[in-house]
Amino acid sequence: MSDNSSKEYWKSLERRSDGVRPLPVAGDEFASVPDAPGGERKGVELRRRDFLAAAGFVLGSATLSGCARAPVEKAIPYLVAPETIVPGRATYYASTCGACSAGCGMVVKNRDGRAIKVEGNAEHPVSHGGLCAVGQASVLGLYDSHRLEHPLQDGQEATWEVVDSEVTHRFDAMRKSGAAVRLLTGTVTSPTKRRVIQAFLKSFPNAKHIEYAMLSTSAICGAHRKTHGQSVVPRYSFDKAAVIVGFDADFLGTWLSPVAFTAGWSKGRRADVDTKNFSYHAQFESRLTVTGGKADRRVAIAPAQLGSVMNRLASLLATRAGVAFGATGDDTDVHAPVIEGLAARLWHARGKSLVVCGSQDVATQIVCNFINHMLGNYGATLDIARPFAEGEASDTGAQELLRELQSGSVDALIIDNVDPVYDLPNGAEFEAAIKQAGLVVSVADRINDTSKLATYVCPDHHYLESWGDVTLGGGFVGFQQPVMRALFDTRSVLESLSIWSASGSHKSDQALVRETWGDQVAWNMAIHDGFARISELRVASATFRNAAVKPIVDAGRPSGQELALVLYPKVAMRDGRHASNPWLHEMPDPITKVVWDNYASIAEDTAGKLGIETGDVVRVTLADGKSPAIELPALVQPAQHDQVVAIALGYGHPESARFKQVGPAWLEGKPTLGDNGLVGTNAAKLLTYRDGTLRLSGEHVSIAKTNRTHSLACTQDYHNIEIPASLVLPGMDRRRPMIQETTLAAYERDGTLPSHGYDAHHKDLGDLWPDDHKYEGYHWGMAIDLTTCTGCSACVVSCQVENNVPVVGRDEVARKRIMHWLRIDRYYSDSEGTTDILHQPVMCQHCDNAPCETVCPVLATAHSEEGLNMQTYNRCVGTRYCANNCPYKVRRFNWFDYAHEDTLANMALNPDITVRTRGVMEKCSLCVQRIEEARIEAKKQGIPIADGDIKTACQQSCPAGSIVFGDMNDPKSAVSKLIKSGRHYRMLEETNVKPSVGYLGLVRNRDENEDPTHHG
Amino acid sequence: MASMPSTIHSPLILGDKNPSDVTNDICASVERGPSLSWWVAISISSSMLLLGLISVAYQIMTGIGTWGLNNTVGWAFDITNFVFWVGIGHAGTLISAVLFLFRQKWRTSVNRAAEAMTIIAVMCAGIFPLIHMGRPWLAHWMAPYPNTRGPLWINFRSPLVWDFFAISTYFTISFVFWYVGMIPDLATLRDRLKAGWRKTTAGFLSLGWNGSFRTWLHYETVYLLLAGLATPLVLSVHTIVSWDFATSVIPGWHTTLLPPYFVAGAIFSGMSMVLTLMLIARKTMRLEDYITEQHVGAMCKMLIATGGMVAMAYLTEFVTALYSNSPYEQFAFMNRAFGPFSWAYWIMVGCNILSPQILWFKRARSNMLVVFVVTIFINIGMWFERFVIIVTSLHRDYLPSNWTGYSPTWIEIATLVGSFGLFLTLFLMFCRFIPVIAMAEVKGVLSHGRKNQ
Repeated sequence: MSDNSSKEYWKSLERRSDGVRPLPVAGDEFASVPDAPGGERKGVELRRRDFLAAAGFVLGSATLSGCARAPVEKAIPYLVAPETIVPGRATYYASTCGACSAGCGMVVKNRDGRAIKVEGNAEHPVSHGGLCAVGQASVLGLYDSHRLEHPLQDGQEATWEVVDSEVTHRFDAMRKSGAAVRLLTGTVTSPTKRRVIQAFLKSFPNAKHIEYAMLSTSAICGAHRKTHGQSVVPRYSFDKAAVIVGFDADFLGTWLSPVAFTAGWSKGRRADVDTKNFSYHAQFESRLTVTGGKADRRVAIAPAQLGSVMNRLASLLATRAGVAFGATGDDTDVHAPVIEGLAARLWHARGKSLVVCGSQDVATQIVCNFINHMLGNYGATLDIARPFAEGEASDTGAQELLRELQSGSVDALIIDNVDPVYDLPNGAEFEAAIKQAGLVVSVADRINDTSKLATYVCPDHHYLESWGDVTLGGGFVGFQQPVMRALFDTRSVLESLSIWSASGSHKSDQALVRETWGDQVAWNMAIHDGFARISELRVASATFRNAAVKPIVDAGRPSGQELALVLYPKVAMRDGRHASNPWLHEMPDPITKVVWDNYASIAEDTAGKLGIETGDVVRVTLADGKSPAIELPALVQPAQHDQVVAIALGYGHPESARFKQVGPAWLEGKPTLGDNGLVGTNAAKLLTYRDGTLRLSGEHVSIAKTNRTHSLACTQDYHNIEIPASLVLPGMDRRRPMIQETTLAAYERDGTLPSHGYDAHHKDLGDLWPDDHKYEGYHWGMAIDLTTCTGCSACVVSCQVENNVPVVGRDEVARKRIMHWLRIDRYYSDSEGTTDILHQPVMCQHCDNAPCETVCPVLATAHSEEGLNMQTYNRCVGTRYCANNCPYKVRRFNWFDYAHEDTLANMALNPDITVRTRGVMEKCSLCVQRIEEARIEAKKQGIPIADGDIKTACQQSCPAGSIVFGDMNDPKSAVSKLIKSGRHYRMLEETNVKPSVGYLGLVRNRDENEDPTHHG
Repeated sequence: MASMPSTIHSPLILGDKNPSDVTNDICASVERGPSLSWWVAISISSSMLLLGLISVAYQIMTGIGTWGLNNTVGWAFDITNFVFWVGIGHAGTLISAVLFLFRQKWRTSVNRAAEAMTIIAVMCAGIFPLIHMGRPWLAHWMAPYPNTRGPLWINFRSPLVWDFFAISTYFTISFVFWYVGMIPDLATLRDRLKAGWRKTTAGFLSLGWNGSFRTWLHYETVYLLLAGLATPLVLSVHTIVSWDFATSVIPGWHTTLLPPYFVAGAIFSGMSMVLTLMLIARKTMRLEDYITEQHVGAMCKMLIATGGMVAMAYLTEFVTALYSNSPYEQFAFMNRAFGPFSWAYWIMVGCNILSPQILWFKRARSNMLVVFVVTIFINIGMWFERFVIIVTSLHRDYLPSNWTGYSPTWIEIATLVGSFGLFLTLFLMFCRFIPVIAMAEVKGVLSHGRKNQ
């Protein structure tokens, strides 16, 4: 270029002064190496076309690789689809609950091959449609990530073939050598299991079956063996009893079969159906239970007083019956007039009364039997001919086994789903002794304190995966069936025992159960119904042996500063076998409303004397110093006897260590676990053996304050039905009319609830707006009977399962951010020296004039044409204005992203319900998904939705049938009838929010003058 | 000055300034480099802002659960701060528009700063409705705009939507008013600054102002019209904010008293904050001649007046509750004064009712330290007023089973500190880059060149 011209062209002075330097050739700007002579290109070169080609390739390949999907999962459709399985449609199987030994009937909802919800079986002869909180929550146990997925040999994964061949081989050798084989199980309620165990053990020359339970019925069995010659637990019929007396038996909460008992008890307390036959219920108890809280007459007694109170009652009745009884009881007792009145009532209701006793003392139970016998209740309200259960009359079997183990004389120990290391007072001794056994086989479904000692762990199915049967009493047997394919490589214990038996016959659990019943039951019908009636009387009826009756010898009373210890099963946690279930840990206790903890309950007076406040950690030591002290937080409990310290069992379970991650992690978040790395403290160490039975109460303990504190997470504070006295203006009613109650006498006379100060000045002045939002089709509503609601909280857990309500952990509950859509408000009230408890389930009230709806800026909450208050999660931006403006405070906000990381547990999620994200509001929908399901079904059949077709989750689970849902526009519907009742009221009616949920006032069988005074 | 019979005849600006002095004095702070004290102040305020930003970022990442709220108390610090800042933002428009229409000439010394404070305070306020949402990334759903979500629209019955309009309208009008009032001064700056980006910016923003008669005529007309437009907003904004509470069913919120109560309270708090800031600016920026004891005295009198209205409202609340015969309402107020949060209530009463009473005395009004302390008390008291209204009403409403407490987390406290950081940082920037006193207006009230003076 420079050669081309002699002229110099310059653009600037700088350039000219530099001399002539050519600018780079514009067209060759990408050239990295100048062209060599001859036009040949050298080195790296890139032409425009090449560049574009390369760029295109890179872009294309990047795009393609970015588009790659997750690994392909092949979903092969059925070639011929099974008739019953329609994706998205639930199938229901009848079964029997295996969460405890009560044997409640249930219906399992199965969606797309997995069980997602268990509900009560309405046709069931025992449970009558209810299902308790523990049963409701047990479905999560199926998807427990701690379950073993395969058998273990010395802690290593093994196959069934290897384990079976080795176990069988060793058992065969033992059969020949006459070695000692011991089988340790919990209470066996299954006839098939008993049969299989007997068949299995028969083949060994030296074999023994040992049953034990932390909450055993051995005292009842022992008493009946002595009085009737039968070691049985009778079948109790509370529905047939006009007078019910409970002695330390929490039959509505935890005792034996609370669902069945609640169903029976509530039948006698339908105030609208029949006020004449409204039952009378008196309860003597040391701590406050849901049963005592519902009683018409509740008397707080110390465990040591139980004997004298029962002696007194027995002697008063014996006088009337003309039977001899060796004692008169303490007639100077302050409760003497009450007992006298009660004796008169009981005598009047001979054959229609029921006296139950929860004591572990055989002598006490004998007196209870004596009372029932004198009243002619056997054959009427108690059935021993077709008993609830048969059982061991002694709790010492496990201790004998311990001694055998310690002496090294046990060659093989088979442990079936029990954990003595955890739940027996001398668990540590067990731990050492089990190691002495030659062969330890466990069928536990997980590694626990006991199964970790086993050579072979042969995991059992979850009860929802296996066949089984349960004795129900009253001539019924319940059946379990697998509702889904086993999740893991587990095997029913029935099958395992059958394989290891002498014959070596491999029979399935189904075959074994079927074999037991043969032609006795119509198999297909029995499986369809979940239960069957069997004709034979299981136990021959027996005559009462008066000779066995002796007055109860009064136990010594605690001396000085000592208190009587009462260990009890909590409504949610029972014996601790479900300690891995977060739903149960987060279920507020019906009485204390505390979650995620156990505690030492101390009466107000005693706490005052000892200077103990709720949350102080106290050391509880047995007076005889037999076992080490335990330390746990104290809780000051109204209405408890002042000589009692009550501690819940089932806590401090090693399994609860898993909840370390529960709840959101953030700067000020606190752990769910206590200082011991567990939830609560194991109180089993304080259990004691006396006279052959395992005692829960009566031991003397001393209690000392430590200087540590541990705050208890409580959903509700104490002392709060009334507004504080210091904030009352003259003439202002301290008690707010949330719960309205009356006495039976007043209700019989008036047919309405008494008026209260809060509605006096509120008249219905009509609406400012035209009534242009009429409910022309359905108008959904609910009525909740507070007379029969016991506060058992089955509905709370049922709602949680149905609606995918997250678990938030202890700290979040302490911050009053529990997510439960349905809560049970608990209030106390005082009446003539005794304390009542009042429970009120509160969910979204679905107001027709809903204050939440008008304030939402984005219309995320709106009203349906059928009166439902609907929440649109994905529209919600989370201003929380709706929650602030809700007079009932039933709205729940997602403060954090609550973990749904356990993919296995997520299988229990209801696919019909959205899992809510952080920052949105949620609340009760009155189970709109169930309404829609019923609507679709009705539409297909071309008929309107019939009353009773829709049952909300809470209603379904309620053992007392206290919750009724239906169409308020249909005058014939059950809910409409209840609304017309004189007991019906709506909360905060005077605010004119027009709630669709109403309540039926609480009626107690009291005289009119016994007007309760409510305290703060 | 004490010998003067009335303020009408006393000079508003001291030191016998001529217009040129005014220009020089006021432009000085813009033209000279930032002082050491300014650097110290902005480092503190921006650190506070940073703390607030970190806490807001953490809260948005983690969730509203990082606040101390619960199922019963759904609002606390967030809406308290919001109402507090909106209240602060009331003084500007009042001083500029209302006092302009009432021909209160003393306003000229403080209106620019008061308006700036208004705008900054409204910005601080605006943050809280945004971050208090569970899902702030969807905040745009609060605005009615054509969207693809079918017929889904906002809920015009919700006071939060009214709020959205009220606050955005107020901010827009206040901003325009502030800017229009600044045009002559920007032109002055443009003419004085050396070539550079600041001169260019000032030139651009002064919209070709040439000081001609026509320009002044247009300016005055627009200013008058805007003042007329802004005046109703003084009443409307806090009225609408109060409807957030008044239209609810919660005892303690549900009362027709709230709109006048809130407006009076807002003016009270706004005036107090203007005084706080002006007293500092007066000292540090050497503007004693422009912001005189007479100005401070006039604003103190407004404090006494509005404080009296607020006291009246506090009293009326109780009388209404007593007269209502509603036990819930009566309890709400008993609980407010004697319940667990009574300390907050009595802080509020002490700061808002008792502390301004000292301003009845002229000696107190002329003691700048006393006035400063009183305004700080009022600022604190007015924050607590909103806290009391929100938290004590919510924490114990109808059902005793729901009664809870409330205590803030560090995140909430840091967010409050952060909002003060934002406020102070922006105000310091304002002092640095914009003439803090409306020069053109002050020149109109000078005594210079007037006969008989």
